[in-house]
Amino acid sequence: MSVQIDKVLVSILQRRLKSITEEMSIALTMTTRSPILCEAKDFVTGLYDAKGKMLEQTENLPILSFSLGPVCEYIVKYFGDEIYPGDVIFHNDVFSMGNQNNDVAAYKPIFHKDSLVGWAACKGHQADIGGAVQGGYNPNATEVWQEALRIPPVKVYEKGKLRKDVWDLIFANIRLDIVAEDMKAEIGSCVVGERGLLRLVERYGLEAFEAHKEYLFNSTEKMMRAELRSIPNGVYHGESTCYYDGKNPGSEYTIRVKITVEDEEIRFDYSETDAQTTGFVNGTYTSSASATVLTFLQMVNPDIPHNDGMVRPIKIIIPVGTILNAAYPAATTYGNHLCPNNADAIMRALGPVIPDRVTAEWNELLCSLTTGIDPRKKTPYVDIGFMGLKGGSGAIRGFDGYDHIGMIDASGGVLDQDYEMFEQQTPHLLLKHEYWQDSAGPGQWRGGLGVETEFVIGSDNTKVVTFGDGDVEPARGAHGGMDGTLNKIELTYPDGKYYLCTTKDLIEGVRKGTVYFQQAGGGGGYGDPFARPAEKVAQEVRNGIISLETARRDYGVVVDPETLQVIKDETKKIRSARPVKVL
Amino acid sequence: MRFKIGIDVGGTFTDFLLTRSDGQSQTYKVLSTPKDPSIATMQGISDMARDEGMTLKDFLRAVDVIVHGTTVTTNAVLTYRGAKTGLITTQGVRDALEMRRGIREEQYNNRYANAVPLVPRYLRLPVTGRLDYAGKEITPLDEAEVRSNVELLKKEGVQAVAICFMNSFANRDHEDRALKIVRELMPDAYLSASVDVLPSIRFYDRVSTTVLNAYVGPILRRYLQNLLKKLDEAGFPNVLLIMQSNGGVVSPRLAMENAATTLLSGPAGGPVAGIVYAGVQRYDDSITMDMGGTSFDCALIKDARPFTTTVGEISRLRLALPMLNVVTIGAGGGSIGWIDEGGLLRMGPQSASSDPGPACYGLGGEEPTCTDADLILGYLDPDYFAGGRMKLYKDKAEKAILEKIGKPLGYDLHEAAAGMYRVINVNMAAAVREVAVQHGQDPRDFPLVVAGGAGPNHACMIARELENPVLIVPRESSIFCAAGMLMSDLKHNFVRTYPVLLKDADRKTFQRLFEEMKKEGTDLLDSEGIGESEIVYRYSLDLRYVKQYHEVEVEVSAEEVGLFNVLAMAAKFHPAHNALYGYSLEEEGTPVELINMRVVCIGQTEKPEFQQQDFAGEDPSRAYKKDREVYMPLQKEFRKVPVFDGLALRFGNRIEGPAIIEQVNTTTFVTGEFNVLTDRYGSFTMYLKDREDEVKRRILA
Repeated sequence: MSVQIDKVLVSILQRRLKSITEEMSIALTMTTRSPILCEAKDFVTGLYDAKGKMLEQTENLPILSFSLGPVCEYIVKYFGDEIYPGDVIFHNDVFSMGNQNNDVAAYKPIFHKDSLVGWAACKGHQADIGGAVQGGYNPNATEVWQEALRIPPVKVYEKGKLRKDVWDLIFANIRLDIVAEDMKAEIGSCVVGERGLLRLVERYGLEAFEAHKEYLFNSTEKMMRAELRSIPNGVYHGESTCYYDGKNPGSEYTIRVKITVEDEEIRFDYSETDAQTTGFVNGTYTSSASATVLTFLQMVNPDIPHNDGMVRPIKIIIPVGTILNAAYPAATTYGNHLCPNNADAIMRALGPVIPDRVTAEWNELLCSLTTGIDPRKKTPYVDIGFMGLKGGSGAIRGFDGYDHIGMIDASGGVLDQDYEMFEQQTPHLLLKHEYWQDSAGPGQWRGGLGVETEFVIGSDNTKVVTFGDGDVEPARGAHGGMDGTLNKIELTYPDGKYYLCTTKDLIEGVRKGTVYFQQAGGGGGYGDPFARPAEKVAQEVRNGIISLETARRDYGVVVDPETLQVIKDETKKIRSARPVKVL
Repeated sequence: MRFKIGIDVGGTFTDFLLTRSDGQSQTYKVLSTPKDPSIATMQGISDMARDEGMTLKDFLRAVDVIVHGTTVTTNAVLTYRGAKTGLITTQGVRDALEMRRGIREEQYNNRYANAVPLVPRYLRLPVTGRLDYAGKEITPLDEAEVRSNVELLKKEGVQAVAICFMNSFANRDHEDRALKIVRELMPDAYLSASVDVLPSIRFYDRVSTTVLNAYVGPILRRYLQNLLKKLDEAGFPNVLLIMQSNGGVVSPRLAMENAATTLLSGPAGGPVAGIVYAGVQRYDDSITMDMGGTSFDCALIKDARPFTTTVGEISRLRLALPMLNVVTIGAGGGSIGWIDEGGLLRMGPQSASSDPGPACYGLGGEEPTCTDADLILGYLDPDYFAGGRMKLYKDKAEKAILEKIGKPLGYDLHEAAAGMYRVINVNMAAAVREVAVQHGQDPRDFPLVVAGGAGPNHACMIARELENPVLIVPRESSIFCAAGMLMSDLKHNFVRTYPVLLKDADRKTFQRLFEEMKKEGTDLLDSEGIGESEIVYRYSLDLRYVKQYHEVEVEVSAEEVGLFNVLAMAAKFHPAHNALYGYSLEEEGTPVELINMRVVCIGQTEKPEFQQQDFAGEDPSRAYKKDREVYMPLQKEFRKVPVFDGLALRFGNRIEGPAIIEQVNTTTFVTGEFNVLTDRYGSFTMYLKDREDEVKRRILA
């Protein structure tokens, strides 16, 4: 090609692509119905080139993000020369590069004149996707068919015409009618993306678009390689444990990663990871690879554009049959939630190598889902407890962890339900949603705070599903920082009996009046807590997020219970009793 | 002679527009005095009196109205220098304010700290008492607990108290009782109850907005009392009005009570002015864009009405009051150019602001800015900046651009400057596109109204990026917002939440809620001297398809409300949804759900009349100054173009692009694609050459 590269146009192209995917994201937020999408934004929108290579994404929930591209490539191969203007393709199948059954994607090919120039796609977590249990989380599942309706690439529109038979087949297998509505919203969002990309191609011409896109990929790759150059060459090992597979109490599985940094490339090799489980605690290749990418992206310059060039220097090896890439036809709905464990393994490998860029550990996810019939409206409801799951992030050199941020796979991209909307949309009554005192791992920089959530369940015959981890091992502190706190969910029934949920539980027939209580733990601290300025500790005591006892025991700061001022001489005495390393 | 004055207090300059009853008008710019902004305000007024040859007292007696826009509340939040504020809220949810629903705006940045809450946790005091989702009392309010909490706040020296209880949108009783107690125990404190500030559903939105109101209340009260006193002492006997974020004005007394309504009022005058300037040329739709030193504001106008939003933010804190939807990005004359790690050129959002300023100011700035690029490209005259009052140093601009941009990219000086110019134009175009898309509009259909010191220099290329054929540069473009303030009406917004399927809505409840809001508005406007017959009421509903989460605001008529014509109201929703999001579910018969009901009460004010010029023919030569070498971005080369004196151009004067038009505080660069026609008020319309006939019809008719 003889197009002269205009470097300024490359900047323009990147900015435009980003803003188009943001527009797609706005459209999807405003039109969807499931609170998982419109309130929590558990979705991603993106643009891809004709071959399916990532052009740009808006990643509200990054764990979904890095499978849209691979699936797009798969779709391009799957349909070959039978891709037409006006087609819309759905996909969720985890055995053809999908990340999770409930994450259903819509793809729309974009044609300029007669040639395919790219794809608009979005993928959101749907409130139901068939299978044995409403909402999809089924700890009893052993194969994919017990979890979900499989949707390999299928055209729901062809040449602009709705394939009513196909549409009806899909939605006849899904319980909630809002899912069909939310998939219409996904298609709408793709239309927004299509219009944007076409305007861009028409503005600059196809040839220039292609050439500058390639240049953009290359320049992004260059940025990523520069980041990689700053990590010392070497082979680094890390591992972490996943507790309880939902079937065998006390079971443990180890994720082992071998990270090889060689000049400007990085390789993540999970070959030594434990074999898959017999239940649904299994990853898919794309959910596990997404987890790897999003964890690593937190260790590099956050301004690197998200396109194909970014991932080129990153190689990921996850053998089929491991817990991170289960073989067909395993159950895998839990797979996205292996991300926090995976992140821990990576952080444990790289923490000692690039200590300034790796945080102490984050609170592991523990989430719940309640479903039932709202007695006020006599209609079904599904609620994913986003507000309850938001524990703290790990601290990093120079900065405290982020309070109440939630799982590392979303990193603050997923939001709490609004309390009053929660009480409109579910029959529950919220009693408490507050920072949890003393949950943060102490450190020179403390971990992020966890939260306590308490509500009264407002429907009879309610189903409570839990999924997650973090009730055995807390988020670990780093470089002298201390650990965060553990997760737990417990139910107190109207008769006063008490039930401690496991981390992969399915409790049916829960009665109205049952009190749901959850603690989401804090993140790990960074550096010696004795090095934290005493005034700062006293201020947090005053704010009630650290107790007097913790201030004294972990931080070595004595605070007057009346005036809430630091008692200087006593503090000095405690703090000088041992050597303190100030970072 | 009678006068009206519009005053816009900005970060760097305080802008004034003086209009006279003979139709003449005059603009003023005075350096702002951030410590006490009223000093600059009084300075400007004194300058006007002097120029009119009158004593300050005589002059002020002849001033009918002063409309004042202030950023004191905005700055108090941005710099965290508001009042010490306490919050009384429902047991169990006191952290909602700080949690902000758990968002971290930069997901991959582990050094990105949460926004600091305006009320620290130890001043967020929970009380027992609970209403359910429908407003029914589950647990009575513990008044003794409220009392002891208020005593605590008093001891802490709190100046402002916010009250926000769960579900109070459905029943104001608990908040009213708490209010009474606070008023009794802390009679001097500024009080802000959520049922008065924003009685609508969504707890985080409400608590955040109520706290913002409390936090800035005492600041605005002090500022306005001081200003009123100064004006009173100087002998001003007439009306002072305050600009609000909703694009309307309000009496100082009501502004003090609802201080948060002024929080984003800075750019709110822009869209109001845009309506007038575009309206003169018979455009009902337009986009206003205002490019200043550090920021670029743009807004959309449809059917002579600006779009509003209720999802505003200031310093990452939610402000859910209805306000004009102005999108602001960091792009201005001071925006700094830089090269990222991948070798790509970026502009802003960092700004050199006025200290040290762009490199060419010669005040020690070393970073290459947009103004430096504009100077190198010949759009600015180094000897006629701010009308020649400030000298620009070309050599300093050259050095900064070459070193920081040219060398890393392998570009020569002009290529580098041209690149900076292009990138910032694309950033601004993206902001315009965003505001259009938010409302489901195609920006190409709207003429651009261009304002701000730096705006007209970039306008043609932004228009090219957006594919807009027509631009209007108002004569008062450099003090655009001050002009807009003089054109604003008194305006009050009200909201009630009534969640129900529209078809099941109870006629009595529905009409009672509208009547309540209407009466509140009528009473307020009455207190501002507006009779009921002069009030315009606008009714709207926030509607959605059943089970959706976000609503679309749909305006309904008084007749539809009076007749309770539910079908007609629902029928307006479907096409609105379709326009915004690409589909509607009308045919499927999906039920429509009501969430909020809103009333806007508008009391019309008397607007200034601007003098119209007589037709002076097409020939612009009497305004011709000289030729200048200017960079042509499309041809990528320098060319000699004629420079005109903007103030000397008259109605009907026509200029063929490329050209430069200079005014004291603004320079307009007309690219070769555009021509210019001067309208009867001295504003310039730039249009693609093939639009000549249409534009002439509008302007000359």
